Amino acid sequence: MKVPPDLQADVAEVLLSEEQIAAKVAEIGRQISEDFAGRELTLVSVLKGSLPFMADLMRRITLPLRIDLMEVSSYGGTATESSGLVRILKDLSAPIDGRDVLIVEDIIDTGLTLNYLIRYLKGKNPRSITVCALLDKPARRLVEIPLDYVGFEIPDAFVVGYGLDFGEVYRNLRFVGVLRPEAYES
Amino acid sequence: MNEEEPSRGPRSDCSFAHASEAEFARILDFYQVEWKYEPITFPILWDLDGNVLESFAPDFYLPDLELFVELTTLQQRLVRKKNRKVRRLRELYPALRIKLFYARDFRALMLKYGRSALVSELSGTLGQVMPRQEADDPDAPGGLGGLDRSGATDDADPNAPGYNPDQTPGRERRSRAARRRAVRRAAAATVYAAAT
Repeated sequence: MKVPPDLQADVAEVLLSEEQIAAKVAEIGRQISEDFAGRELTLVSVLKGSLPFMADLMRRITLPLRIDLMEVSSYGGTATESSGLVRILKDLSAPIDGRDVLIVEDIIDTGLTLNYLIRYLKGKNPRSITVCALLDKPARRLVEIPLDYVGFEIPDAFVVGYGLDFGEVYRNLRFVGVLRPEAYES
Repeated sequence: MNEEEPSRGPRSDCSFAHASEAEFARILDFYQVEWKYEPITFPILWDLDGNVLESFAPDFYLPDLELFVELTTLQQRLVRKKNRKVRRLRELYPALRIKLFYARDFRALMLKYGRSALVSELSGTLGQVMPRQEADDPDAPGGLGGLDRSGATDDADPNAPGYNPDQTPGRERRSRAARRRAVRRAAAATVYAAAT
């Protein structure tokens, strides 16, 4: 698969093309529409990486639904230093008690953030919590969390694009690509 | 096996044998995952009389996840040794869940959290606990936060009879024979603790 020339320098290979992603998102959307028919679904997207996936997925789900956004501080970020604990940087804007919550994630690797998020959301008394991840990198898993919907299981490589970043760059790539080591080792 | 009083996070007063362990503990603390540092020593080799010859204490136990984690950011020779120990542990205790975290895994973790600049100082030899005499030297390398510089090692048990931190240099400097002796002392202490 040929990498667009302007990104040739940093992306070693395209792991998932725009077409592959679109087809998979449509498939997951259909499945979710079937599974949650007649229920009150809230999609919760975890900023910032899952934004493109959320935007595409919600349009492939044929049910009435709500969407909400959350942002969780990441280890090593600027919010880390003050408390040493993970923090909710942006909380839900509407209650979820009694609703079926679908967490929409871009990638699950260690599972640490997701584990925290599920515990946090359970405290808000939703009817159910299920997880949908576009990418699953099981080689890095520390916390085993059942993933209800998974787009692609990917190898242990540093990937960017379709929301995934390195240093806040590459999120706007339309595909998921493997970053050249030189790009993050320099 | 011998279960020691659990060390529970989050906190920063735990003594670690390697900088990567201290960083890993900080990550677990950050995500509020409960952990215990080297809480259990598993015997993995016995002689014909039933005396423990070798034991293994995985670095972390995550009680909520029922998972042991062993960090291996050291040189290849020691990685092979740890691989062998983990294999043996899995054979003897098949119900036990253990994840071996290699240098590349740790490096990827640091990269994910934007701390790739720390990789070199948290990994391998540079991340070792320094011997006491060097630790007291202001010009000596090392000196990362949250680390005990008293010379704790993978194998030696500070509770073992005859253990003297002042006589225990950094792991890299210890001969294989010394390490074997330390393992036997630790194993003996384990058996003793279990019996009492």
